Amino acid sequence: MTAEFKRLGRRGAYRLGDLRYKAGQEPGGPAFRPRFTRPDRSAATSVWLLGLLAGSVVIIAGTALGLWFMPFAVGLLAGVANGVGRWPPRVAMPAVAATATAGWAIPLGWSVLRGAAYGPVAREIAAQVGLPGYAAVGMIAVVLVAVIQALVGYWLGRALAPRPASR
Amino acid sequence: MTITSRVDRARPFRLALRCGNLAVAVAVSACLLGLLGAGLAGVPALGPALVPGHGAWTSAAGARLPVSQTLDLPGLSRLATARPVQVTYTSQGLAAIAAPTDNDAYLALGYVEASFRLTEMDIERRLAEGKLAQLAGSGAVGSDKFELRLGLLRTARQEWAELPKSGAPARALAAFARGVNDYLAQLHANGRWPAVFSLARVYPASWTPVDSLAIQGGLTQALGFTTTPLVYELLERSLGAQQTTDWFGVLPPGQQAPYDPGPYANRGLAPEQGLVTVDAVGRAPVAGPQVAGPQVAGPQLAGPQLAGPPVAGAAGVVTASIQTTASDQPQPGSAAGLAQASTAILSAVAALPAGQVYTAPASNAWAANGPRVAGGGAMLAGDPHLTQTLPSVWYQVALAAPGLSVSGVTIPGLPAVLIGHNAHIAWSLTDVQSQSAFFYAEQTSKSRPGEYFWDGHWRRMQVLHYSIPVRGGATRRLTVDATVHGPVMTQDGQTVSVDWIGALGSPDLADMQAVEEATDYAQFRAALATWRSPALNFVYADDRGNIGAIAAGYYPQVRHGQPWLPMGGTGADDVAGVIPYQAVPQVYDPPSHVIASANQRPVGDSYPYYLGTTADFFDPGYRAEAEYGFLQAHRSMTQADFAALQTNVTDPLAAEIVPKLLAALQTTGRATPLTALQQQAERNLASWDDQMTASSTGASVWWTFWTDYLSAVFQPWWRAAKVPVHLDRGGLSVGPDQFSLDADLTTWTLSDQQDAAFSPPGDPPRDAATVMRAAFNTAVAHLAATLPGGPSSWAWGKLHTRQFPSLTGTAALGYGPRAAGGDFWTVDAAEGAVHAEIGPSFRMIVSWSGSGTPVAQSIYPGGQSENPGSPWYSNLVADWWAGKYLPMPQAPAADSGAAAVSASPGTIRWELRP
Repeated sequence: MTAEFKRLGRRGAYRLGDLRYKAGQEPGGPAFRPRFTRPDRSAATSVWLLGLLAGSVVIIAGTALGLWFMPFAVGLLAGVANGVGRWPPRVAMPAVAATATAGWAIPLGWSVLRGAAYGPVAREIAAQVGLPGYAAVGMIAVVLVAVIQALVGYWLGRALAPRPASR
Repeated sequence: MTITSRVDRARPFRLALRCGNLAVAVAVSACLLGLLGAGLAGVPALGPALVPGHGAWTSAAGARLPVSQTLDLPGLSRLATARPVQVTYTSQGLAAIAAPTDNDAYLALGYVEASFRLTEMDIERRLAEGKLAQLAGSGAVGSDKFELRLGLLRTARQEWAELPKSGAPARALAAFARGVNDYLAQLHANGRWPAVFSLARVYPASWTPVDSLAIQGGLTQALGFTTTPLVYELLERSLGAQQTTDWFGVLPPGQQAPYDPGPYANRGLAPEQGLVTVDAVGRAPVAGPQVAGPQVAGPQLAGPQLAGPPVAGAAGVVTASIQTTASDQPQPGSAAGLAQASTAILSAVAALPAGQVYTAPASNAWAANGPRVAGGGAMLAGDPHLTQTLPSVWYQVALAAPGLSVSGVTIPGLPAVLIGHNAHIAWSLTDVQSQSAFFYAEQTSKSRPGEYFWDGHWRRMQVLHYSIPVRGGATRRLTVDATVHGPVMTQDGQTVSVDWIGALGSPDLADMQAVEEATDYAQFRAALATWRSPALNFVYADDRGNIGAIAAGYYPQVRHGQPWLPMGGTGADDVAGVIPYQAVPQVYDPPSHVIASANQRPVGDSYPYYLGTTADFFDPGYRAEAEYGFLQAHRSMTQADFAALQTNVTDPLAAEIVPKLLAALQTTGRATPLTALQQQAERNLASWDDQMTASSTGASVWWTFWTDYLSAVFQPWWRAAKVPVHLDRGGLSVGPDQFSLDADLTTWTLSDQQDAAFSPPGDPPRDAATVMRAAFNTAVAHLAATLPGGPSSWAWGKLHTRQFPSLTGTAALGYGPRAAGGDFWTVDAAEGAVHAEIGPSFRMIVSWSGSGTPVAQSIYPGGQSENPGSPWYSNLVADWWAGKYLPMPQAPAADSGAAAVSASPGTIRWELRP
């Protein structure tokens, strides 16, 4: 059973092995409590979070320089790192997306707070790319560009990274 | 099979899977980065355009209001070192420029307009020059092809080439361009481009005088280029010549209120002068052809026919001509071919952006003097009706320099105040709506490709080649053939060329400069003597209590033929000349003390020249009648009275027709009683005051009735004749915007209720009352189906809206739609059926109570800035909507220095130095 839990979050986990329902099994057995990190990797979570925070900072710094591809670069690094660190994709991908979101949304929000008239610009962006002309839609579309970059970068990073041998 | 062997077998598969995954990831990454970094086809490079703080976001900087500052502008004169150019902005954004020289004033104007309207200016010049697809992508190729074919750019280039560079107009154009380029240089340095450019990654080229002249051509096109002869051709082919003549006559069927009532004199013709832009053959001036006097071409077509002697061999013919032989006689085009050609041209025009060609814009301008004005002076009001967009077609400014002191509105890109006033005179404009485009069916032969037959000889067409850059696509090529008449618009079925006034060029800028400096009517009238296009009614008032109006422009007269139809291209029907300036419609200090121009036919039926027909040319005259009615009913009018008239939404047609409708309902109600719903609707009408206010329920019933009445009368004829409405919905369909039909039906309803038109072919005879009752029933059913609640809740504003769309086509950046009053025929016009986008684009009232500074106020729906984030983007809309006005800005005397600049709260000041 322990081995089956270890498969959670990894390729083939959906098959669940012995965790699947078995005919005649008594209901009310031990509660199913999935864990998304390996018990022996709990320290890596904080490392990961710090890394993603650094990624956001890097993306934000990139926007200051007009480096529009920085979300991709950060996603790429995250993907490579994850090849080693082995966070499950369903955790890593939202984390990378959040990093990219923060990386572009924070500068946008900061400018708005400082009084920049970004609302009409966002409306114009939304309308020009064929979306409903609302500022929120424009903002979301822009942030989505960063998120897509980061996820594709993550994908490429994972594909590039050497995969450690299974234990 | 052991587990180990299964794992060994799976390893190559996993390896292949990983390699495949890697390959796809690399490919997707490359595509994504390529797409974001460089764009693809019509998709711009979104990466650099969208990264926060850069790209499109930098345009937010332009949303901030300007601050008082000193700016260095290269190109200003040395005089501006000691006396800097002063630019002041009121808190509403209205600008005033005071400069030590005229050139400095125009340079500052270029800088200021570019600061607030660069996108608009660039789009307008691209539109006119056939370069829109470079910015907007492949969707604009059709527009570019049309414009390059028509030749605004050819005309602009040649106008500039022929303009004396030492003259005031050329110097103004050059100074203006310098000012625009000063601003462009700043943008190149700071990267704060308007969002449209950042998103498209296409940036404006340097401004040139040709660009300003092309924009002038664009205005001429918007006010004067029509395809009406092609519409007539299709109407004749479907309805027949007689019915077309009867229903779309040259002269209006009803009473008109011309501002020039005559008497008229036939003064022969003046030579048509202008540029030769497409063909070395050209149309050389024809010296004094004789006018043979009016010839009635049909029972209703009382328009004059000019039968001057054929002119052999116009001077200046240099194109190779080849004597025709028996074997290659020209082949006259077939009627079917002409219809096919008409269809092709109409389809091309229908695909153009709204407002690019003439779509019956209307305007008001009136003046009163003497006892009709409080204080006995003169007073003028004007409100040009154009497409209402954000930003507006106008930029409001006051200019002052030695010899120049004017306040009014400019077209961004053109260094001239088109409507406004100086210290002594004021003027406003309305479109004459005369026929400015004449179509010719050229005679060609299959055995002579590239040639056409004209004036007894075969001639080679001039061939022009153009490239059309397309954003995200391959550059397109365009070949334009041209004959002596002008560019060939199509060879689909029939070679058809167009001879239109815009191709001649027009010294508008020089004329407007002279108008701006005029101090009395004689100077004003002299200034407009060389004006060719667009033909405009200039309505005038001055500080000496005089008023006047003159329809400046060219009115071509053909030697023979029916100019409202496509004519033969062999030369017999060519333009023989134009109406001499002394004979164009005009009036000065009329005994009635009032003048009103509302696009009505400006002259009476006995005018001895051809101006145009009722179809798509002249307004049916309802607004003019309303204006004359108001002005002649009042004495000692004030600006408040004029303002009340400008915002008046009384429908004069309803005032005439509704009593007839109520009578018809009474008559027919005896045989077929009205239902309860119909009775309620009838009561709405009976108690209605003809006001097309947004809250009026009678207005809804009236408008829906009139639409259904037109349909009930004409639609059976249209169906029977198979009028090809789909080819040109605006020109061929039955509706209230078909002014000829409105006028016909009005006349029949008022004075000929048994007219044969009420009885369509194959149906039992009907009279007006019967048809009105049927149309009323239909209207009530329409309203019941469209609007919830009963007739008491059928407010006009629920059907009728007004909106100001964004010039960029971005719906979210427009204003409205919002429930609104008015209709086609109210003085406060709302044109464009029930969703109006055309109307008063500027309202101005100027008065004098004696010599001295005029009292001037104005408003336009929009704002001075094109930046959607700017507080000046749409800040004037609310006042316009409420019928309020703002004082027009006044620039200080050029030598009075900064101290004289108005220091009202909120005033922002720039000092411009070289």
